[in-house]
Amino acid sequence: MAYSRVHANVREYDVFARKTRVEPLHQVGSVVAPDDDLAMAYARATYDEERWVEMMIVPRDAVISLWSPGESES
Amino acid sequence: MVPGRVRELSLYSLVKSLADNKQLLGMRYAEWCIAAPSLEADIAAAAMGLDDIGHSRVLYGSLRELGAPDGADQSSYANVPYLDKPWTDWGQFVAANSVLDSAFTLMIEALANGKVEVLRSRLKKMLQEERYHYLHGRSWMREVRAGKAIERAWRESLEWIGPEGADVDQLERDGQLAYGVRELGRRLEERVGSAAPPVDIDWKTWDPIRRRTQPGGIDKGTLDMLQGLAEKRYMPSA
Repeated sequence: MAYSRVHANVREYDVFARKTRVEPLHQVGSVVAPDDDLAMAYARATYDEERWVEMMIVPRDAVISLWSPGESES
Repeated sequence: MVPGRVRELSLYSLVKSLADNKQLLGMRYAEWCIAAPSLEADIAAAAMGLDDIGHSRVLYGSLRELGAPDGADQSSYANVPYLDKPWTDWGQFVAANSVLDSAFTLMIEALANGKVEVLRSRLKKMLQEERYHYLHGRSWMREVRAGKAIERAWRESLEWIGPEGADVDQLERDGQLAYGVRELGRRLEERVGSAAPPVDIDWKTWDPIRRRTQPGGIDKGTLDMLQGLAEKRYMPSA
């Protein structure tokens, strides 16, 4: 039975979560997966060590960076 | 048609078989926690294994409140043949993960939405965790060509759900299950994201306790592990 050992086309997703409603979401890590379904499954399996009240994932290529460390705001 | 051998079964036998299958499925998942095609899939296999073993414990724990065992042999496993032996190919994992696991979970959903209070209150949380199982299986199904394994998983899922007009449909009429046989099949197709392949099941050979048509059972190695015998080998002799 043929399958690729590593997926041919993957996206990177950042994983955000929080433990209580009063704290803001934090980036807790990232996952690499070929689609949203698997990214959700991987995020939940990899980062479920805490009792999060909320978890979400964002495809990294959807993130628009305004500036990065070392760059000035203006 | 109700096959001649199927007498009226209680909810007990159905939940016992569900628990047995979930426990074995969890073990089979766990066997892949260092053998899946990627590290993420290893971790997912371990996490899903833990989920299903945990769910089987809750199901076993609910049996006490479902009356007396009615013919179900307490010492034997009422599992589908797919779980009799360890899987040798990732495609088998994927097919079980998307089709069989979903079939068992739909039965949990049918119980959680039925009128039996102990099941209504205890089973709902499982459904949230199980969501990630079919997301995982469904995505891998797009990647892996597992045609034969998928067909087998479908056949055994439909066998496990059972024939129309038998126990599951009776339990649905009584309100103990929210879905009957047809509705379970329809929802399974919806969840897996593809139609069931044509399967021809010989219901005359169907065992209503073990919910399968084939003889056989789990391999000795698995049974030893479940009974803690495999671990004993590593214990110092007294």
